[in-house]
Amino acid sequence: MEHILQLEQVSKAFPKSGFRLDNVSFSLPYGAILGFVGENGAGKTTTIGCILNTVAKDSGTVKLFGREMRDADTDMREKIGVVYDGDNFPAYLTAKQLAKILEGVYSQWDQPLFERYLREFHLPSGQKIKHYSRGMTMKLAMAAALAHHPQLLILDEATSGLDPIMRDEILDVFLDFVQEENHSILLSSHITSDLEKVADYIAFIHDGKLILTASKNDLAYRYAVMRCRESQFLALEPQDMIAYRKRDFQTDVLVRDGKEAQRKYKDAVVDHVSVDEIMLLLVKGERV
Amino acid sequence: MKGLMRNNFFAVCANAKVFSIFMLVFGIFSVAVVSQSLQIGYVLIGIIGFSVNGIFVAKNGFGSKWGKYKLTLPVKRADIVKSLFWNQIIWMLAGTAFGGIEIGLSTLLHGCAFDFPIDILSLFTMGISISLFLGALFLPLFYLGGEERCEVLLVIALLCAFGFDFVIISVCNELFDPGVIGILLGNLVLLVCPLLAFALSYPVTVGIFKRKEY
Repeated sequence: MEHILQLEQVSKAFPKSGFRLDNVSFSLPYGAILGFVGENGAGKTTTIGCILNTVAKDSGTVKLFGREMRDADTDMREKIGVVYDGDNFPAYLTAKQLAKILEGVYSQWDQPLFERYLREFHLPSGQKIKHYSRGMTMKLAMAAALAHHPQLLILDEATSGLDPIMRDEILDVFLDFVQEENHSILLSSHITSDLEKVADYIAFIHDGKLILTASKNDLAYRYAVMRCRESQFLALEPQDMIAYRKRDFQTDVLVRDGKEAQRKYKDAVVDHVSVDEIMLLLVKGERV
Repeated sequence: MKGLMRNNFFAVCANAKVFSIFMLVFGIFSVAVVSQSLQIGYVLIGIIGFSVNGIFVAKNGFGSKWGKYKLTLPVKRADIVKSLFWNQIIWMLAGTAFGGIEIGLSTLLHGCAFDFPIDILSLFTMGISISLFLGALFLPLFYLGGEERCEVLLVIALLCAFGFDFVIISVCNELFDPGVIGILLGNLVLLVCPLLAFALSYPVTVGIFKRKEY
């Protein structure tokens, strides 16, 4: 399978804060959406920084479109659209002025497409960005990221802080974007419901370490949570468990194959597991 | 580069408009009132004021994520720095133009207010020299010290620029005779030194900026 983005053993230490991105490896195939999930401060933005060279990695390799991107590789950045959380653009600009700037930067800037997005998103082109709501600024960032025909969208918490209707609209834009088979999206978020809706793969990061990467289908149909009583939990073999979390009268155990677990431990209750619950088990629970 | 220059222009524009109106009013007043010191003030305020206005663009990207976002655009870090240096030159020239028009109009209406016409050249050289030193010092300091210290770094850079100019003028006064040739040589030194500093400052700033993480 060809990958539009590949990270291998990427590490970055911040001695002042003590935070360390520790040997992060994952890859994003062409035509897919990878949800990058983790709690605040887990290392999502640092990883994205390493991908985009806004942060210098200490070791490891990041390949975009099959090669490492250096500062001089502007041709590669022509094919990437980026949306950060919050204010991507200076407040004193209008959407029209922003388009003029980006037109002078991107060789493939598509002004009619940008204007179409402005109309679709109901964004006034002559109004200063400082008068936009948060949802409007995010939509503008999406329009700007899409209007130069990128192949890869990198979105860092692009849907956080948006109301459900706006999130839904933006997620539809993502799904539309990946209709083209050479288009991919790396979507970092801690809103797991968004990822459940659109992602093909989900990578979990916690405390600078990638703790799980799986396809959404696997997570939905194979991964499961076993609700065990104390005696049932003690009877489990460690290799069957990914993580567990003890609660008052039961222990929730994350397993890689729910059907297999049901066969093996007949009296245990096996439930489907949501991305939210997986994240909780991996982060709050004990990993095996 | 074109996009970056436009970005700088939009960033400076609002403040530049206000400053231009001030310069226009001040210009009318200083043309109407024949005063050598007023004209000296006008030219220096014009050149340095517009330069400060222009150089402040470096900070504007950091009120939002724009400073970080720019690094994801298909531009080199060196181009971002280059656009700031060009921006500084452009606004310095705008200030020079304001000063030139004022001096021209005043001379046309009232005659030369200076003892010697060559003093006008020295005045403009001094303004340009301070402005170039300002850019040469501020831009690397800005990336080194961080955007949150922008204002204090600007003040330090401006004071140092004045200081350098006074040192150069003092040395030139010692070295050269007070005749026309001496003044011309002094002006040449006063222009070449900041030009060299400005040219050297560019690779230094690029070097610092390339190591910055956002």
